[in-house]
Amino acid sequence: MSHALRPVLRSSTLPSLPSSQSSTTYLCQTCRHARLLKRPKRPYTFTQLVALSDGSAFTMRTTSPRPVYRSSRDTRNAPLWNPSSKELLNVEEDEAGRLAGFRARFGRSFDAGRDTGAGEDTTVHTTHEPDNPASEKKAITKKSKEPTDEDLDAMFAEEDDAQMLEMISNFGKPDKGSSAQLARKKI
Amino acid sequence: MKRSLQLLRPVQQFKDRPICGSCRKELRRAASTQAAAIAEDPSQELESNSSFNLPPPSEQDATRFDPLKSTRYREKKKQALPSSRYQYRSPRFDRGPLAPHRPPPLTDPASRQFVPGPFSQSRLESTYHSTIAADYMAMTYQHRPPGFKPPEKGPRLRAWEGDNPYFANRKLRGPRGGDVLRLLRKPITFRNIPMIERLTVHTYCRDVIRSGSAVLHVAGMVLQEITGQRVITHKSKHPEQGFGLQKGIPIAATVDLKGEAMYHFMDKLVNVVMPRIKDWRGVRATTGDNSGNLTFGFEPDVTGTFPEVENNYDAYPPKMIPGLHITIHTTARADKDARLLLEAFGIPFYGKVVD
Repeated sequence: MSHALRPVLRSSTLPSLPSSQSSTTYLCQTCRHARLLKRPKRPYTFTQLVALSDGSAFTMRTTSPRPVYRSSRDTRNAPLWNPSSKELLNVEEDEAGRLAGFRARFGRSFDAGRDTGAGEDTTVHTTHEPDNPASEKKAITKKSKEPTDEDLDAMFAEEDDAQMLEMISNFGKPDKGSSAQLARKKI
Repeated sequence: MKRSLQLLRPVQQFKDRPICGSCRKELRRAASTQAAAIAEDPSQELESNSSFNLPPPSEQDATRFDPLKSTRYREKKKQALPSSRYQYRSPRFDRGPLAPHRPPPLTDPASRQFVPGPFSQSRLESTYHSTIAADYMAMTYQHRPPGFKPPEKGPRLRAWEGDNPYFANRKLRGPRGGDVLRLLRKPITFRNIPMIERLTVHTYCRDVIRSGSAVLHVAGMVLQEITGQRVITHKSKHPEQGFGLQKGIPIAATVDLKGEAMYHFMDKLVNVVMPRIKDWRGVRATTGDNSGNLTFGFEPDVTGTFPEVENNYDAYPPKMIPGLHITIHTTARADKDARLLLEAFGIPFYGKVVD
């Protein structure tokens, strides 16, 4: 198919071919002086081997004298060019569920509904390494360890206790803020 | 087969040399017997005759041969040959079509304006010819049942209608709602598959007004480094009071890329530079000039990630590295077609599509 196309595409008026003739065979009808024919200046170019991140390579003409260019980021590993690739997705690794716990507690509008997303994340993570059954088991157990309401309540209770202790220990000591208030009251 | 070839070889060998007819007959007869011998001992295939065995030239010929004398004679007669070191030089000036000494055509390597190349075949170009062109035609195929006739469209230019006698023979009117005549979009066949025609890299250095021409010099260097072509500078056409811009100040630089250089630049841009842009969603899909030429721009930090600039980044003052505007001129008649083509080349587009 493509070979059948080729002869037509390769016509003499192929736009991909340099057709500098049109501009320079311009016949100056009005000017009668001799025009200087300048030699075109061409920067020196080298042939460079560009090695992409997946190991494929191609040659390129470039002004850079470096013979090999290795790219770390290119179309082979950029998510914009590989939208279906799961490896390139920006997945949050939250095995212990700590980030999910934080979000459940302090999450505001856009963060609040994410605790279901965290569960999905962990499942994605488990699908990454199914060859290792031990890690899978671990992940599942951790998933079961995900903060439930009881856990969170316990955490709150602990923190409440700590706050209570602090209040008791600070009782009777002149506080900066309180002293200022007292001064204000006196005035 | 092999056997007959073996027989043929000695005959052909002798055919090339001038031999008398009788000798040739003899040789031909001998060829069959020789072939067997050669098969046994390949060294017999070598020619036994040698020029060393020939008799030397006669005394008379040797004395008569005097090249120096003959040259002098020719010079005297003003028929001297051009010297062996003679080289044609094309004229420095073009003195018009009627001048006796016209410069050779540009395709002639002797021409002063000859540009050699292409030196390599770009992988992108071969991909276009092998894959993209055929795919594009398949993608844009629209089935028409036999006997289908597309509805006739009205004329693009309207006639003047009215009682006014001056309307007769008047130049046709432009389209309704503006004078711009858009390009006609024809159905895509194997003859008009869009392709990239040329690519323009442009940079406008506004800092020239404030801090002098150094910015433009650096921009030109960067452009040349990136594209591998010489830069053309452009002067401001109009004075701009708000910017403090005067007329005739060199303020912009462009490079026009075609053919090999264009494809190499495109390849580099798509495969190496674009993926490294942070938080980039692609080229906005609304770009275009309605006739198949798409433009997009890059910030100065993106220019810094071109492999050539990155290679010796310290060579340029970091604040003077320019941003770029890249225009891709395609042979497509509409932006929609051009976008489809560039998507096939690997340029991502985002946003609302306007056709």
